Amino acid sequence: MARPAGRAAGRRRKKAAGGFTRRAFLKGIGIGSGALGAGILGAGAVPPRTAPAAGPGATLGPGPVPITLRVNGQSKTVRVEPRVTLLDVLRDRIDLTGTKKICDRGECGGCAVLLDGRPVYACMMLALDARGRSITTIEGIAPRGGLHPVQQAFIEKDALQCGFCTPGFVVAAKALLDVNARPSLDEVRETLGGHLCRCGTYPRIFEAVLLAAARGPAAKG
Amino acid sequence: MAGKRTIRIGQPGRPQEIEVQVPETEPPIWDAGTRLNVAGRPVPRLDGEAKVTGRARYTYDISLPGLLHGKILRSPHPHARILSIDTSRALRLPGVKAVATFEAPDFFAALGETDESGKPVDSGAAKGEAPKTRRILFAGEEVAAVAATTPEIAEDALGLIQVRYEPLPHVVDLEEARKPQAPKVYPAGNLPPPSVRERGNVEAGFKEADVVVEGTYTTPVALHNALETHGAVARWEGGRLTVWASTQGVFGFRDDLAKFFKIPPAGVRVISEYLGGGFGAKFGAGVVGVVAALLARKARAPVKLMLDRQEENLATGNRPDSVQWIRIGAKRDGTLTAIHLKSHGTGGIAGGAGVSGPVRMVYACPNVRTEEQDVMTHAGFAMPFRAPGFPQGSFALESALDEVADRLRLDPLELRRKNHREQQAKVLLLEYDLAAKEIGWSRRVPPPEAPATAGLRRGFGMGTAVWGMYGGPPADATVRIDSGGKVECVCGTQDIGTGTRTAMAIVTAEVLGLQAEQVKVILGDTATGMYSPASGGSVTLTSILPAVRAAAEGAREKLKKTAAPGLGAKPGDLELKGGRIATRGGGKSLSFAQAAARLKSSVISAQASRVENYPRMGGESWGAQFAEVEVDTATGQVRVLKIVAAHDAGRTINRLTAESQVNSGVIMGLSGALLEQRVMDPDTGIVMNPNLADYKIAGPLEMPEIVPIMVDSFDIANNVGVKGLGEPPIVPTAGAIANAVSNALGVRVRDLPITPARILDLLGRSRQA
Repeated sequence: MARPAGRAAGRRRKKAAGGFTRRAFLKGIGIGSGALGAGILGAGAVPPRTAPAAGPGATLGPGPVPITLRVNGQSKTVRVEPRVTLLDVLRDRIDLTGTKKICDRGECGGCAVLLDGRPVYACMMLALDARGRSITTIEGIAPRGGLHPVQQAFIEKDALQCGFCTPGFVVAAKALLDVNARPSLDEVRETLGGHLCRCGTYPRIFEAVLLAAARGPAAKG
Repeated sequence: MAGKRTIRIGQPGRPQEIEVQVPETEPPIWDAGTRLNVAGRPVPRLDGEAKVTGRARYTYDISLPGLLHGKILRSPHPHARILSIDTSRALRLPGVKAVATFEAPDFFAALGETDESGKPVDSGAAKGEAPKTRRILFAGEEVAAVAATTPEIAEDALGLIQVRYEPLPHVVDLEEARKPQAPKVYPAGNLPPPSVRERGNVEAGFKEADVVVEGTYTTPVALHNALETHGAVARWEGGRLTVWASTQGVFGFRDDLAKFFKIPPAGVRVISEYLGGGFGAKFGAGVVGVVAALLARKARAPVKLMLDRQEENLATGNRPDSVQWIRIGAKRDGTLTAIHLKSHGTGGIAGGAGVSGPVRMVYACPNVRTEEQDVMTHAGFAMPFRAPGFPQGSFALESALDEVADRLRLDPLELRRKNHREQQAKVLLLEYDLAAKEIGWSRRVPPPEAPATAGLRRGFGMGTAVWGMYGGPPADATVRIDSGGKVECVCGTQDIGTGTRTAMAIVTAEVLGLQAEQVKVILGDTATGMYSPASGGSVTLTSILPAVRAAAEGAREKLKKTAAPGLGAKPGDLELKGGRIATRGGGKSLSFAQAAARLKSSVISAQASRVENYPRMGGESWGAQFAEVEVDTATGQVRVLKIVAAHDAGRTINRLTAESQVNSGVIMGLSGALLEQRVMDPDTGIVMNPNLADYKIAGPLEMPEIVPIMVDSFDIANNVGVKGLGEPPIVPTAGAIANAVSNALGVRVRDLPITPARILDLLGRSRQA
């Protein structure tokens, strides 16, 4: 039941460059992308591989460095400081703002993206660690000019209200159907267990995912 | 000019005719006998596609050329004097473009903020302090702000600002703050004058009672946590200001900025096309809006200032806590004779801790006395939180009523029926019937005589919702039809996530004989000039839809005039239906597009304004909620199995989004009942859980089965017949759940949230008793 999110209690006050930050701490002990990302995978999914390390002895930063990412099938090169998360690069540098920044510490699932097809929290991963991986954001879920069956079902079932959590739920639901074409209600709930919606849309999100699944193989986008 | 009209009110099946005075400009009123084609059906929301594809641009997503990123430095102390602020190192950091400090004594006063007594909120001047010093009143209060070329540089710059504080004694605990020796939040002390109201005479009422129960109930401080944090993007062009804002009220936000910067409102444009929730915490420009604009002016560049989750939980609003002593007297048959409520609570440095609404409004009782006391503490300020005061007050009231029922060995539902407000609440009796049947209320058995301490226990509980705001003027709308057949409905209002956009399209489409998706809605922009109230108090649709409808009627009449000659008919003989314009009763017809193509000018435009609510019309929105729970007596875990929620919103405009809104209130109510509480450390005066891991809100795993039931009811205070629905569904949920838990266990739950620890404590204590 408990989300395996960053439990570093107390106040988060990042210090000036060179100071100790909570994020640096989490990432330093290696639970940035792996363990926490796995937290939202739920039943039937597989944790992502560890990111490829920079070469032995390679040092990057602290100033901006060029990073090339493969996002929604396109290659993007940005210059950012190594401390910048995948989420911030997507939103602030590539202008893919469908991925939402809500808690920025792995608690809510609003920033879920697919990394090599599997969902991760983009806020808990440094952009550097996403080099060489295939990244799919909410903007890349739908076939060109159309809607993914999960998206279609979300609209029909009114599985959204303010809509701020919606991209994260859609991404996670798509990832679920990719590995489990006919999930049970309990499997849907478990898989989405790491996502939060403050408007209270959950029952209709469950209905939408089950509807998309019931529509059959086409649901596998 | 007003005239008398006969309208049908009540339930659609058995309407009742009455006469009502309405302005002559009003279109025919949609009453209980009116059959509509689009309104009332389930219509998927028009912005669904934009939201599921990530294309919807919220304030948080706005990007502009040369955009700077702002961040705010906040006080770590709950009560302190700022002795000095040195920003020189921050200003020297490459990439930093502006630094603002707020030590000017009139900064917060200029925001228009006032304390409980109506005096300007903390400013050095108000306290007779020397200029250039400021007293910090809660941990997390704003101290300084920076704008820089990247968010990372802005964050670094905050660390380079050196602030010297003189910490002062603080008090954050509700009971400590009431003591005479407590550190004072305001010079006048921590206890502003209480609010006392009485109808009838409670002393006399208690004398008539055969049974009297009393108890003390508590609820915690809750945090709104809209998923889009507070924030704004501000851009100056000459002396004109454009702001994209995450706000529940674009017009109020605009007026606050105009006042602060001493420019006319017309010089400020506020845009909020998509909004990631608000729940009451996003009224007005606030510090965030003002600081974004201030930084942008200093830096001579656009600035984006979005708060992070911790800031959101420290300094943007909360629901005050409450301690409620309630005493209820009743006759042997369950008739209530008196209710007495004494409550106090803290909204930090602001008021708003009153909880008496349900006690005064829900049930018929001739003698009611309420005494409510705000308590000031060194904590973040309260803001309205979805049905302010009602969920807390309802929890205590419904709990105490169940205690009365148990003592009298009455069915709790029968007790409520006995005391319903006969004239006003006929729809409520229908809701009781429908919801009780759906939950299977007949399966309820009285609570165990001795506390249940073994196994899984099931229980049932219920509660009643009431909300009584009806919207009203001013609210304006324009409907345009162009020669290409495009239909636009324009109102400056914001869609907080409730489906306002889609409701506007539905009403326009209904009038023009179209489908909702054929109407383009323009909203969330003060530049439309079409005024709307803020989205709070459940008044958005009740205020704007009557204006939308009147505007659409105006546009329709103009279109009829355009089409009439070609159809060889008088405009008055034409009707618009199914996408066509035709002579009533058959004959020649044109498609909507063909008719529009005959426009001589390029566009039809009709504007209309909301008129006053019809005199003596308009009833409250009512609801009934029933809960079934299962309690594990070994672990103390409460699992809500099912909630049935029957609600009325007058005429339901969009069944799909209305049901979503009922689900929404139920889930937020459940979340508050079982999980949510802000925790403060009394020694340091700081919030211990300003994040979504430690301040837990309900997620997918806590979801019960929820059955929303919309019950249309017509008491018609406006031409559409719509009533508010945003708040009522959160009102009774906690009370219904608490009653179900008490029914399961045979001990009364008196404190929220109902955590496993509390259940075990209750059972343990009961065993000893």
